[in-house]
Amino acid sequence: MRQWQKRRLVGYAFIGPVFLFLCVVVVFPLTHAFWISLQRTRGLATSFVGTANYQRALTDDAFWHSLSVSVQFTVACVTLHMLIGLCLALLLNEIRFAKTALRVAFLTPWMVAPAVGATIWLWLLEPQFGVVNYLLMSIGAIDAPLAWLGTPGLAFLSVVAVDVWRGVPFVMLLILAGLQTIPRDQYEAAAMDGASAWQRFRYITLPNLRYLLVVASTLDIINTIRHYDIIGVMTAGGPAGATEVLPVLLYNTAFRGNRFGEAAAIGVLLLLIVLAFAVFHIRLTKPEQGSAP
Amino acid sequence: MRSTKTLAALAAATLCATLGTATAQQPIVLQWQTANLTEKQYEPIWKATIAEFEAANPGIKVEPVLVARKDHWTKFVAAALAKQAPCIVSVDVATAAYNGYLMPIDKYMQAEPNDFRGAWSSDMLSAAKWKGKLYGLPIWGGTYAEIYNREMVVKAGLDPANPPKTWSDYLSWSKKLTGDGSWATAVLGGKTDTTTRVLLTWIWSNGGEAFNADMTEATFAKDPKSLEAIKFYLGLAGKQGVAAPAPTTTNYLEQTNLFAQGKIATMRNAYWAVAKVNDDNPAMKGNMFVAPIPANKANAPTMSTMTASSISASCPHPEAAWKFIKFDSGKKWSIERARVANWMPLRNDLANDPQVKADPLLAQFVQIGTHARSYPLPSPIWAEIAAGDIVDAVQRALLQPEKTEEIFRELDARLTKKLRDV
Amino acid sequence: MHRARHANAARGIMVVVALALVMFPFYWMINTSLKPASEIFLSPPTFVSSNWSLDAYVTVLTERPFARYFLNSLVVSLGTTALSVILAAFAAYGFTRFFPRGATPFVVFLLFTKMLPETLLIIPYFQLMASVGLLNSYFALILAYSSFALPFSVWMLIGFFRSIPRDIDEAAKIDGASYLQTFFMVILPLARPGLVAVGLFTFLIAWNSYLWALVLTTDASMHVLSVGVANMVGEYRVQWNELMAAAVIAAVPVMVLFSLLERHLVNAITSGAVKG
Repeated sequence: MRQWQKRRLVGYAFIGPVFLFLCVVVVFPLTHAFWISLQRTRGLATSFVGTANYQRALTDDAFWHSLSVSVQFTVACVTLHMLIGLCLALLLNEIRFAKTALRVAFLTPWMVAPAVGATIWLWLLEPQFGVVNYLLMSIGAIDAPLAWLGTPGLAFLSVVAVDVWRGVPFVMLLILAGLQTIPRDQYEAAAMDGASAWQRFRYITLPNLRYLLVVASTLDIINTIRHYDIIGVMTAGGPAGATEVLPVLLYNTAFRGNRFGEAAAIGVLLLLIVLAFAVFHIRLTKPEQGSAP
Repeated sequence: MRSTKTLAALAAATLCATLGTATAQQPIVLQWQTANLTEKQYEPIWKATIAEFEAANPGIKVEPVLVARKDHWTKFVAAALAKQAPCIVSVDVATAAYNGYLMPIDKYMQAEPNDFRGAWSSDMLSAAKWKGKLYGLPIWGGTYAEIYNREMVVKAGLDPANPPKTWSDYLSWSKKLTGDGSWATAVLGGKTDTTTRVLLTWIWSNGGEAFNADMTEATFAKDPKSLEAIKFYLGLAGKQGVAAPAPTTTNYLEQTNLFAQGKIATMRNAYWAVAKVNDDNPAMKGNMFVAPIPANKANAPTMSTMTASSISASCPHPEAAWKFIKFDSGKKWSIERARVANWMPLRNDLANDPQVKADPLLAQFVQIGTHARSYPLPSPIWAEIAAGDIVDAVQRALLQPEKTEEIFRELDARLTKKLRDV
Repeated sequence: MHRARHANAARGIMVVVALALVMFPFYWMINTSLKPASEIFLSPPTFVSSNWSLDAYVTVLTERPFARYFLNSLVVSLGTTALSVILAAFAAYGFTRFFPRGATPFVVFLLFTKMLPETLLIIPYFQLMASVGLLNSYFALILAYSSFALPFSVWMLIGFFRSIPRDIDEAAKIDGASYLQTFFMVILPLARPGLVAVGLFTFLIAWNSYLWALVLTTDASMHVLSVGVANMVGEYRVQWNELMAAAVIAAVPVMVLFSLLERHLVNAITSGAVKG
């Protein structure tokens, strides 16, 4: 056997396991989901209906409403994740005192399971007995307890806030690590040229971080769009559908409504939307040529 | 070299260990899943039930499947689709039967002696039937009534011996019970089916109907009495201001918390709420009294929920499962459940049992329950609409009271479409 | 000089404020977990209490087999970490050394698989596991969880392996090592920070995952911690102090692990994948 053929085989041997693994754990369920999306399911009885489920989903108000909530939620969360994460990273980068302890402290919201974190916040935001209302009332910011999860606007705000609380640490960590790779001499040279702090940030920090920011934001978008736990635990999509993002709609259609075919169709549509989002986002923020992985 | 070998050996060992943890083979293992197994007030009872059953039936083991209430149905469905559902389950009978997840139990019931079969009225059994076949044995339930906090009632200058009988009485009581950091009652608008339950009791107490007789049409707004009831009830939180704030996130949990902590003076609830409140706040023991729901119509029915034990379609040992269900539905456990967890037995041969008679609250609930309609309503999409569409409409109406009629007309249209699509 | 001082002070204040906001929920979680049941609903709520006790923790640990849940979580998370890291390392190495142009498309493909909502995948996976009799097994969970962290792991390790020059492989080959030997003995040690980072990340995801464990295990003795905690939320009743105690128990191991290994995570991101 030729040398390059042998090399090829070895290469396959290395990448083989992961492909095999993905077949079982991802490809099979995915094909199954596609197949189910073409059926009308009534529990164990299924009948083929082609694209009827897709048509139904696309003409259903609930789907479009859910999509718009998803978009709003994702845009709000990812923007805040990136902004706050960036600020925190810049802040922590300058601190020398108790570095590890501080970093771990700021990472804690991310370490706790999303469902557990959401439950803690449920308790904090309880209208009558929760501590948030109590604190706000005692400093005079509000004069009656607010129904944080009971009014549409506040509920949306609350879930965004909790998701930001959960999601910022990871972004902060990535950016913090990135900041440490920027060579000091770039900053020093700029300082000698009389650049202001803002100029240093804009012309040195940002370009150096660019690739990382793109990766972080793409991962974040994908994760946030398909996130279920926080909203599922806190509001289950209410009140009156104000926080019903697509994963929640999907879950409800599948398990409460027992309409798996329709749910699968929504899932596939969600997949395509996420794909579109991701591609669009990468195109928009594409790093310069020669620096792609 | 050595480290590679040890690494590989370790990996192989781990793999073998994990593969080898398949559950060992027991004589017959029945899995039992109901959302209530994770409820604290029920735990001591079910543990005793299983222990006694296994002692009396060597060769059968009952394995409880513990799952949080909100995930109970998800887990059951996932298992049912893979034909691996637990043998004994308590789920929404109509929905589960319609989807093919349950096994009809007529033949087991027929084989039982008369005095067993006679313990259930035909009305009660029909609540667990789907398309003429019996899919579950009604085990326990709850009757809805109005529960009052005696101390708060007395403090407001009202007479506990004369609870309100009509809506206008109720409203005047409510106005007196509101104020000083507490309210008369709570309106349920949270995202669970208890919202729908309470709404229905108000509709029925006005002589209204939310659906037509064969469940093919929704009449929440179409029936003027029903619409009137909805406006009145939701108005308690709105313009009347006698209900605790944040109704759109109030479920059974929040409602009973508020009641136990003395923030609301009355609650529309079932007998099990008494046990819960007593647990939450021992100071409430003996401080509650019960009365029939205020109604605008003579002899208006209240609501009785029904929980049944069923056998899943894929169960490989239905006879053993039936044995357990029969055991669990026996007099002893029915009374235990009533005594400890405040779950009402659905057997009709217990009214004269001394233990039942000894508890005045229970006796009252039993009395009120003699004129009740069964819940859930027999539709295979009930679980979806009761915790979904109807709740959404209630929430919207709470947030925009001036649009109540429009919202419920929309609900009627949507529900009718879904009902016809079944 | 003054400006620097001001800047430092300002920074310090901002950090303290941010820290307070981030950590307050945890403080409240611990506070609630130490309260007796009668104090939970007090208005105004108590921030510090002379009645603090570990009763809730004792109840949680004795009434429910939390030690067993802990063990299950540990086995599943460690197993997932091992499998996932090995798969990712093999794949990353394979791509960077043998199919370099396939690296990016592969990562994108992995990302694509992450775009699927969990709900969709659970049922067919459950049916598959049921049909081969692997329900209620550590293996089924490990298999499922290993897929979650793959995109990030592969992306990071590709970055790492790229930064290790080919000459090292060549040198090892010349010394007579086989491909596998080169991989295990020469390359992997060089990529250790990356492996640690990937391991940490995967462990975290596995430890916190809930939905899959919920569906795939029916035997109570196989429950993992996240399921054990969730089971304490009855819709009809929530013992907040016990629930918070359980949440603390579930969160502490990860926090300990992270404090010990956080440095490696930062190192890894710094030296491996960030360059782009």
